[in-house]
Amino acid sequence: MKRIPIWSWIIFILGMIYFFLPLISVFEFSLRKIRGIYSFEAYRLAFIDPRFYQNFGLSLFWSVLTITISLLLILPTAYWVHLRMPRWRPVVEFFTLMPFVVPAVVLVFGMARLYARVSFMVELPVLLIAGYVVLSFPYMYRSVDAGLRAIDVRTLTEAAQSLGAGWRVILLQIILPNLRVAILSGVFLTFAIVMGEFTFASLLSWPAFGPYMEEIGAMVAYTPQALSVVSFLITWACIGAIQRLARGAPELLAGTR
Amino acid sequence: MAFLEIRNVSKVFGKNTFAVENFNLDVEKGELVSFLGPSGCGKTTTLRMVAGFETPTTGRIIIDGRDVTDIPPNQRNVGMVFQAYALFPNMTVAGNIGFGLKIAKKPPEEIKQRVDEMLRLIHMEDFGDRYPYQLSGGQQQRVALARALALRPTMLLLDEPLSALDAKIRIMLRSEIRAIQREMGITTIYVTHDQEEALSISDRVVVMNKGRMEQVGPPFEIYNFPQTEFVAHFVGTLNAVSAEVIDPAAQILSLEGQHLQTSHELKGLRKGDKVMIAIRPERLSLANEGKKANLINGKVENITFLGSIVRIQVLIGQSKFYIDTFNNPYLELPKLGEQVEITCSREAVLVLNHERVAA
Repeated sequence: MKRIPIWSWIIFILGMIYFFLPLISVFEFSLRKIRGIYSFEAYRLAFIDPRFYQNFGLSLFWSVLTITISLLLILPTAYWVHLRMPRWRPVVEFFTLMPFVVPAVVLVFGMARLYARVSFMVELPVLLIAGYVVLSFPYMYRSVDAGLRAIDVRTLTEAAQSLGAGWRVILLQIILPNLRVAILSGVFLTFAIVMGEFTFASLLSWPAFGPYMEEIGAMVAYTPQALSVVSFLITWACIGAIQRLARGAPELLAGTR
Repeated sequence: MAFLEIRNVSKVFGKNTFAVENFNLDVEKGELVSFLGPSGCGKTTTLRMVAGFETPTTGRIIIDGRDVTDIPPNQRNVGMVFQAYALFPNMTVAGNIGFGLKIAKKPPEEIKQRVDEMLRLIHMEDFGDRYPYQLSGGQQQRVALARALALRPTMLLLDEPLSALDAKIRIMLRSEIRAIQREMGITTIYVTHDQEEALSISDRVVVMNKGRMEQVGPPFEIYNFPQTEFVAHFVGTLNAVSAEVIDPAAQILSLEGQHLQTSHELKGLRKGDKVMIAIRPERLSLANEGKKANLINGKVENITFLGSIVRIQVLIGQSKFYIDTFNNPYLELPKLGEQVEITCSREAVLVLNHERVAA
């Protein structure tokens, strides 16, 4: 068996400490609600608060809306860019990176100023979801793009066409099933981001899990830390789900290029 | 009226890049025609226009009397096999073969029956439940062929279907493709850059170069009577050199100062004109004693053993000539550097189309 050099182990252990030490500290702190003993009291208090469920449920709803709209927008665009406009790929990639270039605060104020007079945009969470969709662009587009690169989109499309398939069938029966893992990856990343997002919800005054955690944090100790741990667990569960669902996919795609 | 008619078809990419230029071809029902040529010669573009994946810039494509030039590919009922197999990874072998039938809304019993029939045709009866990743390249391409044929298409188009396979599988599979094509009597266009493949499988070969047809004909004719220098060079190994006309009436040429007679008529040529002549290596031989006609002197430069063939390289003046002779254990070969006389029949000396050569 190949031996791993000692320096690799040292770097690995340092990396693990850097990543896990703050998390362990937060977790340890969240267990100190009752003086002198470790307990899950902070978690119990978090879970009995009806506002927790209300905000968590709303964030869940926002994330479902965001994922749906993001998929409807990104999937056909990425597919078409791969199939017919490969030269435009860098341009589309540039646009999807907007949330990394334009800060969320600037984006939300820009949108608010521009659409303030359109009543339904203010009354309904249109701006919130639109902002979330923009926020999800880099993750969703890159996941779908990576999936499309892994399959020979053009040949599969042409093969399906030569067998009589139209665009709807090609997209639903050929392309989507082969992008399953890529789509799930984008979906879970978007889900994790929307569940913890603070700026958009707070500045547009819509209830969500992010502002709720911030509000709790300003008032009480221990419970926000418990919620942070819960938030991390949700993210990890999402990543675990991606890994689990991705099993077998590489074999399925082997030899398709 | 031919089954497939390609009339004055051209394809221009960008402003003036001609991928295909004024292409005309008639393919009869049940015929297998190969498009042969180097990369970028326009063979795949022409095939893709027949399939409907590219629209001709000018010209018409007519299949079985129906003008399909502006009809989308999914309404042409033309089966296509791709170089990269293009099997749907999320479907089993049976799912792949039955896909087109499902799209055509055939009843499930008919789909199953047809899929079984196709699996028998490709000798893969027990592979229906497998996924593409569980198959070898050759098996995947067989499934791709079965999938293309399952819908009983009017035509079958194969775009370099064997290029990604190793040599042995390639030879085996091309025989199978030909057998299936004959059995089904389906009109087929086969694109390849492999001349051996094209010659062995086709009823006719279309040799293409720079978007234009160089020559169309049966494999025997293409190989033995190439019309242009390109065809002569591209198809098979060839000794092609420049020669000077000495006596047009007696059909005598000068090759590096040595006289050579051809059976080819030298109409329109005068003494002193330059022509390109071609002689296949297998038509040349080391001269026996007593042989008087068409003798050329040269020096043996190299001898290469190619299995069933031994290739002798002879230098004649400044020109290198190859001579192919069948291998046998008792073959007496000249030594390197030895002066030898080589010979060939008058018929073996081909004079290539001088107008095209000049171009």
